[in-house]
Amino acid sequence: MRIAVVQFPGTNCEHETLVAVKECGMDGEIFRWNRPEQELCEFDGYVIPGGFSYQDRVRAGVIASKEPVMATLREEAERGKPIVGICNGFQVLVESGILPFGDGVRLALAQNVMIRGGEIVRRGYYCAWTMLRHDAEEKRCSGSYILRRGDILSIPIAHAEGNLVASDRKVIERLIDDGQIVFRYCSERGEIINEFPVNVNGSTENIAGICNPEGNVLGMMPHPERAFFAWQLPRKHPRVQGYGPGRLIFESMKRYIEERRS
Amino acid sequence: MIINLRVWLKIPDAEAATVKNTLLRRMGYQGIVRDVKRERLLSIEADDVSDPDSLIKQLTRELVNENKESFAVSVNSLDLSNGFVPVKVSLWIEDGEAVSIRDRLVKRLGLKMIRAVQRANIWKLYIDGDDPESVARRIAEELLVNPNKDRYEIIKLN
Repeated sequence: MRIAVVQFPGTNCEHETLVAVKECGMDGEIFRWNRPEQELCEFDGYVIPGGFSYQDRVRAGVIASKEPVMATLREEAERGKPIVGICNGFQVLVESGILPFGDGVRLALAQNVMIRGGEIVRRGYYCAWTMLRHDAEEKRCSGSYILRRGDILSIPIAHAEGNLVASDRKVIERLIDDGQIVFRYCSERGEIINEFPVNVNGSTENIAGICNPEGNVLGMMPHPERAFFAWQLPRKHPRVQGYGPGRLIFESMKRYIEERRS
Repeated sequence: MIINLRVWLKIPDAEAATVKNTLLRRMGYQGIVRDVKRERLLSIEADDVSDPDSLIKQLTRELVNENKESFAVSVNSLDLSNGFVPVKVSLWIEDGEAVSIRDRLVKRLGLKMIRAVQRANIWKLYIDGDDPESVARRIAEELLVNPNKDRYEIIKLN
């Protein structure tokens, strides 16, 4: 099972993402953006890790979205292969139009705006542990394949532009109706509270991660590779069999590929 | 009055170079786009200004780093030269950075006459061909703008 960890200039989470992929028993390698894009077709799945592709020039993710590898990834996504975009990888998937519907740029990940009691209390870059509620049905999405609806995970964020917005409210309604909202920022008890610090970046409907209609492409702002091992977690957080909850994202991808093959 | 402060880099502008490279190498604008330059525009609205020159000096001192940036100031107008299509890109959702700049000017520097600050990028597109404006619109929509948060306008040159 071969997984490509796609690296653009400015990506900075490729190594820890690769460790996570390999730790789950998958055969991974870092795939630099300037390799012949046809070679991507040989892989069974893809992770676009976090970082600052092209230094976030113009806006986060947009320059990387024009690279030939993204056209190939779109084709592979249409073949049903799994893609997980993490943080900047999510931004690249949105700017390339692969997410949410594969038909153009329907969303933006705008600058964080933290709101409490109707007041803006903070803006911009924020780095913190967050609680996520898995809102999708079981097996709805390749990157959360083994999670059940309502599962709560603690995974950290680190970004300045994760505030998911759409100029057309119908886009959000369609995401809700079609079960494409995979993760929402929540309290420790799983409550969706549209206030900072639960909603860490002002994202519409507390959205932290979405999938495409087919479910094989997941984009999420939190970094599962930073909550992969138990030692990465703060002491107060629950452990998952010696590992952190971030492992479940990579295990999901593996299970999705296995079941798709069988 | 509205003080328009245009700021551009003296050193090479990597962002403009990236946009040019992307247009030429990835998006099929070879032979159409000759060059791309970029300026930051801060439009600062102020009331009851008794000494405009002094206010402009204070603003440029605070908002421009002359070690790496050049600037031009115009009041109630935007004086741009010819030879390119200027595409002004700004946020239509709330611009937190612009709000922070206003708060800094008013609360920290005591410039109580400042009412509002708006921020934009002016992309100066040097385009060959018969209809540069429609090419500029296409470039804006394909690369410079995400309509879910940004808006753009082509500034008419005098």
